[in-house]
Amino acid sequence: MRKFTAIVAAFAVASLMALPAFAQEDAARIHLIHGIPGVDVDVYAGGEAVFEGFAFGDTQDLSALAGATLEGLEVRVAGTEDVAIDAGDTALPASGNYTIIAHLAADGTPTLGVFENDTSSIAAGEGRLTVRHTAAAPAVDVLANGDVAFSNLSNPNEVAADLAAGTISAEVVPTGVTEPVVIGPADLPITEGASLIVYAVGSLDDGSITVLTESITGLGTAPASVDTGNSPVGLDPMIVVAALGAVLVAGYGTRRLATNRI
Amino acid sequence: MAGPASAVDHVLVTTSVHRLARHALAVLAVAALSVGCGADAPTSDAVPPPPPAAISTSAPVTTFPDTTTTPAASPLAEAVQPIGSALYEEPADPAPAPISLTIADLGVEAAPVVDVGVLDNGDMEIPGADEIGWYRFGPNPGENGTAVLAAHIAYNGRDGVFRNLTQLQPGDVVEVGFADGSTRRFAVTELAQYPKDQLPAERVFAREGSPELALITCGGSFNRSLRSYDDNVVAYAEPLD
Repeated sequence: MRKFTAIVAAFAVASLMALPAFAQEDAARIHLIHGIPGVDVDVYAGGEAVFEGFAFGDTQDLSALAGATLEGLEVRVAGTEDVAIDAGDTALPASGNYTIIAHLAADGTPTLGVFENDTSSIAAGEGRLTVRHTAAAPAVDVLANGDVAFSNLSNPNEVAADLAAGTISAEVVPTGVTEPVVIGPADLPITEGASLIVYAVGSLDDGSITVLTESITGLGTAPASVDTGNSPVGLDPMIVVAALGAVLVAGYGTRRLATNRI
Repeated sequence: MAGPASAVDHVLVTTSVHRLARHALAVLAVAALSVGCGADAPTSDAVPPPPPAAISTSAPVTTFPDTTTTPAASPLAEAVQPIGSALYEEPADPAPAPISLTIADLGVEAAPVVDVGVLDNGDMEIPGADEIGWYRFGPNPGENGTAVLAAHIAYNGRDGVFRNLTQLQPGDVVEVGFADGSTRRFAVTELAQYPKDQLPAERVFAREGSPELALITCGGSFNRSLRSYDDNVVAYAEPLD
């Protein structure tokens, strides 16, 4: 066992020495979401299939490819050579937290969007809501519980806020009006310490517009303190003194009244 | 605002193979270090590490993959991991909340438990002298992570429901009653006392890990000018059934 440990330790040191660049980087988290309704796709790099039969809403974890460049990245209609998105040589971030989404541009053209996810810590009691407009639709307002929470959000932009944890009823409407409702109402769970990212996807024209969601957990903050006592156990001398004082004052007042009567 | 990014570098796909190998080695190195040190300390990383997608599960990796003979697409395909669907789902109904607590050894009989959050100043919300606060943002008692149940030792001149928490012994039974009428029993494993500013939040407020209960009150010296105790007392307990 000791020998095994020694070998493992030696191997670890050798590996770390060989990896100075990597050792200084934070581990990356890169997800890829299929955000175009109604079409299954294959993803190719360098002329070879990376994954096939990728359906609307499916998510792939590309974290192990952080820092790599995918040469000649293509999204093809599944089982065909029809290239829906020709992304060219695509460098993946070496570190950080990113989501890449295959989605429709405002004019309906399929495209790849890359969003950096905010992983900053969230105050105790709150959750984060991010809304990303990745649909073939004009600018929209986002209503939370009936009120405009975010206004004039256009493709391919995002808005975000930290909110009190709880469930909100969300609706998406064209900017400046309250109807027709484009998406929703939908209940969105604002989970304490987590970031909920909502993507508006699809096309307004063909009625395929809807939402996709992803969640990033572990961003929360513990309460600052647990204050579970504001008086000493048993008899509190301060309260005893206060009570005694009250009795004396009451007694004096009574005597005064009694005296005045005479 | 994060706009769409664009391809920047031009690197051959074979570079990504090297990259994969480096990741695999780095993950192995971390694993090896934990074996060597026997470290099992809890961690609370904000971002989970990437899954060991690039690691061959069949045999220990001792050399770099031979990039001259490995087809370029194969490691790429192996490196990506399907992780489910992003399709919207209605939020699930929450599990029944805890509503009562019984600690026979302390004479606490079905004391009411109320769900609490945080105050504006960031402190945990604590109910009155006779009630126990369950931190609703953490796990339910019995779920993975640490469920926090906090109550006063003394409040506004009255003894609180956790007045005698320091008298708990390992093995003492704590029973939690839930809103659906079910109960769950826990056994005390450890009693700890910390200066208030050193309460180990990464354990007490853990959202992951094996199920644990943290019963919290105050202890140590009472500071008359601050009307506050110097310490927190925590009784940890584990599920019995």
